[in-house]
Amino acid sequence: MKLTIGHLYPDLLNLYGDRGNIQCFRKRLEWRGMEAEVIPFLSGDTIDFSQLDIILLGGGSDREQELVCGHLKSIQQDFKNYVEDGGVVLAVCGGYQLLGKYYKTDKKMIEGLSILDITTEWQPERLIRNIVLDSPLFDTPVVGFENHGGRTYIGSHTPFGKVFYGLGNTGKSGYEGVLYKNVIGTYLHGPLLPKNPQVCDYLLERALKRKYGDNIVLEPLKDELEHLANGYIAGRYSDKKYILKETIKRHI
Amino acid sequence: MKLRSVLAIKCAKCTSYLIKKLNRGSGVTLPGYVARLVDPHILSVMVGMVKEKTIVTMGTNGKTTTNSILYHALEAEGKKVIINRTGANMLNGIISAFVLAADKHCRLDADYACIEVDEIASVNVLPQLKPDCALLTNISRDQLDRFGEVDITFNKLKTAVTSVPDTKLIINCDDVLSYTLASESGNTFVTYGISEQIFDDISRSEIRESIFCRSCEKKLEYDFFHYGQLGIYHCPNCGLKRPEPDFTAADISLEDELYTFSMDGMLIHSTARTPYNIYNTLSAYAALNALEADLAHFQDMIESFDYGNNRESIFSINSARVQLHLAKNPIGFQQKISLVLKDEKPKDIIIQINDTYQDGEDISWLWDVDFQYLADAEAATITTAGTRKFDMGLRLKYEDISCDNTTDLRSTIIERTKRGTGNLYVIVNYSGLYSTNYMLTELEKTQKGGEEA
Repeated sequence: MKLTIGHLYPDLLNLYGDRGNIQCFRKRLEWRGMEAEVIPFLSGDTIDFSQLDIILLGGGSDREQELVCGHLKSIQQDFKNYVEDGGVVLAVCGGYQLLGKYYKTDKKMIEGLSILDITTEWQPERLIRNIVLDSPLFDTPVVGFENHGGRTYIGSHTPFGKVFYGLGNTGKSGYEGVLYKNVIGTYLHGPLLPKNPQVCDYLLERALKRKYGDNIVLEPLKDELEHLANGYIAGRYSDKKYILKETIKRHI
Repeated sequence: MKLRSVLAIKCAKCTSYLIKKLNRGSGVTLPGYVARLVDPHILSVMVGMVKEKTIVTMGTNGKTTTNSILYHALEAEGKKVIINRTGANMLNGIISAFVLAADKHCRLDADYACIEVDEIASVNVLPQLKPDCALLTNISRDQLDRFGEVDITFNKLKTAVTSVPDTKLIINCDDVLSYTLASESGNTFVTYGISEQIFDDISRSEIRESIFCRSCEKKLEYDFFHYGQLGIYHCPNCGLKRPEPDFTAADISLEDELYTFSMDGMLIHSTARTPYNIYNTLSAYAALNALEADLAHFQDMIESFDYGNNRESIFSINSARVQLHLAKNPIGFQQKISLVLKDEKPKDIIIQINDTYQDGEDISWLWDVDFQYLADAEAATITTAGTRKFDMGLRLKYEDISCDNTTDLRSTIIERTKRGTGNLYVIVNYSGLYSTNYMLTELEKTQKGGEEA
């Protein structure tokens, strides 16, 4: 079995260790005896969505997002069809914002893919810190790091998780990210997948089922180190004393 | 001098005295804070007492080394120079450097000031310092949890230099970000750059900041990359291109682990073991020229210069060779990996990654480093340590490189020096540097002969 992973615009969107997400997809397939092919699509390349099983859209700076925006127009319809057809997408930070209708910065209006009915607005205070989520999809918490100036309003969409510690979509809503069909949009980097193998396997399984049929089940892997890394952050932010200490430090 | 400034200096000196007496750290920032509380204009007052010139050094990598070269070059010409301590490169640390250098009559006896300035702090510091020259080493991603995005760093630096239009810039024209910044700023500038390919494949980090033309947004074309986005570039659309540098190093060759190169008519047998120290030397030399400083002793000084700076120290513990290296961002770490691979002997490696505010709380940058090369590093063991040892371990695991981890760095070091390959690399990020350096110094003293368990 083999999955083809399309990495969209790594020349523009490569800000927060997104390579880690690609590497995680690849290795967790290989360790199970499956094949992974990663195709990087640079800005301007043509993309055949029918050959893709997973798409990764990473984070970029506001300026680079604006440059991406021009390329998105040409793939908008194909991308939308792919999503509606159950195609797997992981969109992080800037990529997450671009799935929506627009990203309004202080100077400009960046048009998005309009695949989801969500909008993002820029505010001068960036939301930067470690973040821990409880997601209904998983038993273990999802941990990562958020760093965004945009506040994303997801309307009636389902969020990716509930914020246990951190700020999330708007800093106020108590929720983070978005879930739609087989799409996960999120502000969590760090990168997201290596520390959250449950999320990686969830996406891999969805992609395998779409390609090879519903009876595909992923063999569990020995994820000791993954759980230690995840547990370290989850544990740290379950400790009220630690949170208090960090909050005090942040304000002096 | 106004009474207020005198009072500010006295208060700062008292604070410094108290901190040392009470053993509350080295006291490099609080005195500056106190001085500023008493006299908000203290920095301008102090810098006004510098007899000749003031230069600031900014940029992501190479600040401390470059500033240290400037300091030693000026001292070699018999000048009295004020310099701020490593890491004390925010406003308070810089004020401390000045006020603590004042004599008991609150006067400053200095010909030059060489000040390293943090990129974010530059916006506040430069208008007060009004330096004669500002050296910018390079701009790349570093501590994104503090800086947000590289574009934000770029804009801060640009705001800082445009606020001091009379300051002459010294910039690395191989870095399209630095060059664009200088061109857009309106300040006069001189450039330095290297036209030979001196970085090997391993040190050539593929993580690049913005290789899209900032004026016309087309993708730049490169003859070759040095590392990151540094290289010989041109824009196929609007004609922007890497200029011929005013200062350059050429005929670069590596002999017995040390670089030799020619620069402005001198053939320099340097003590530099890494190509980025050629950049640091070149940038400092360009800056000294811009300052119109004497250079009679430059060659002698640089040929015996210690680039280590406590950042690359070598120890002998239990007859093992132990090297301590600082790696705090992707570009820097990539250079260290290249250095490790140049050493063909078997080795043990310890990597300590912390995530304090000083280090950067976001450790996702580890995934921007090409760690896969470590698979060929002849490493008998790789051990991860620090608050984020599991994240570092995962980074290696996802390259199929096996490693273990430790919560007790000291005993792991002792164990490796006794039963390891006799060739140990300890790579740490910022907050672990001083404590590990201290630990290794102390181990070197007490462990001779291996009498301690």
